[in-house]
Amino acid sequence: MIPLVTFRLSGYVRSHRIFQPVLGLLAVLSIIYATGVPAGGELPSYSDSAGILMLVFAWAARGLLDNEPDEQRLIAITAVGRRRELVAGLLAALLLTGALALVAVVFPLFVGFAETPGGADLGYGAGLHLLAVLAGTALGALTSRPVLASPAASAAVLVGGYMAILLLSSAGPWASVPVLDWMNAAHHHELPDRLGVIVASALAWSAAGLAGYAAVRRVRG
Amino acid sequence: MLSDASLDLAPGSVAEITGPNGTGKSTLLRLLAGLLRPVRGRIEERPAVIGYAPERFPSAQPFTVAAYLRHMAAVRRVAVPEELTARLGMDHLLGQKLPDLSKGSAHKVGLAQALAGEPGLLILDEPFAGLDATARAELSVIVAEVAARGGIVVASDHQGDLRSVPGVTRYEVRDGKIAEAVPIVVDDPLTTLTIKLPQSKADALAARLRAEGHEVS
Repeated sequence: MIPLVTFRLSGYVRSHRIFQPVLGLLAVLSIIYATGVPAGGELPSYSDSAGILMLVFAWAARGLLDNEPDEQRLIAITAVGRRRELVAGLLAALLLTGALALVAVVFPLFVGFAETPGGADLGYGAGLHLLAVLAGTALGALTSRPVLASPAASAAVLVGGYMAILLLSSAGPWASVPVLDWMNAAHHHELPDRLGVIVASALAWSAAGLAGYAAVRRVRG
Repeated sequence: MLSDASLDLAPGSVAEITGPNGTGKSTLLRLLAGLLRPVRGRIEERPAVIGYAPERFPSAQPFTVAAYLRHMAAVRRVAVPEELTARLGMDHLLGQKLPDLSKGSAHKVGLAQALAGEPGLLILDEPFAGLDATARAELSVIVAEVAARGGIVVASDHQGDLRSVPGVTRYEVRDGKIAEAVPIVVDDPLTTLTIKLPQSKADALAARLRAEGHEVS
């Protein structure tokens, strides 16, 4: 499976499509950290970064999964089997979005934060980005070509889906991926207390999204 | 598209799938390859190693021919098919980028990746389309070799090149059914033909004639 993951990532990078999410990532990081973050504001900034970048992660995952032609996907299925091909695609997408998230976590340590955050805030920030990676990859997979063949419909559902997640997450932590919930918690110094429900909700929604993608792929190949 | 369809393929068999356009030949091939699931019915005892060459090789990929074949060999956990690329006359293409290939050259890449790793089931969708005469003859020989070591070969073939492979069985897909076509038996006495040609072309012609089922000495 690892050679197929390598093949997918290599094809994506060589196609230069990786520049799209990288530019989105840099734009978001520039906006958040352009004026600098004073001491004590690290975790709220990380929570905003994770919440906003979920859209970039979804875009990146969709781009990677859609990068190879449909016939190549069929060749890969005959080579390694349907399940492994699906897992390899998702693993490649998670590695890509994980790398983008790593940049988002490390970037402000050098150019954004006035002071280096403590280990706890750094861990919370990395954890929130990990939740955004999982949810963004699931959203990207659900809008990829095997699920939505039309590029226009796919882009509209991806952006609309992200906005719906934001709106619904204001209704409560279980209404959708709790993006606004983790932002509010971080800004009001309540993240440690509410972390359990936030993590559980984000994992559940991400797992549901990935399971839905797998179910569609089982039918459509 | 296909209903009440049945096909029994023994190890070492070569099946040529014919039929008018749009009758379900490619659907049948994808069912056999495991790319589609039958709504009803089942496909049993499919060999573990499957080689699949689609009708149109997806050449819109950012790799050279050599890099692509190297990646696919790694994916299949087999050696890079260097002998196959030589036999299919594509060694000079190895450094070229996939999007720059002609249709026939791209088709050879699709065949090479499918043939790598000695597949137990080889699915070829219009494998001879766009190939030059030498590659067509060599492909027939390769198909015969796959069958000789117990592999199953199933191919749709509008050109009829597959009929030169010894023991090929023709199946016709029509009206959603699969029927074995009646073999054409020709009661024709044997004769010996002497051919004079440049020495450099002798091996290719001999291979082609052998592939067509003729005895060459």
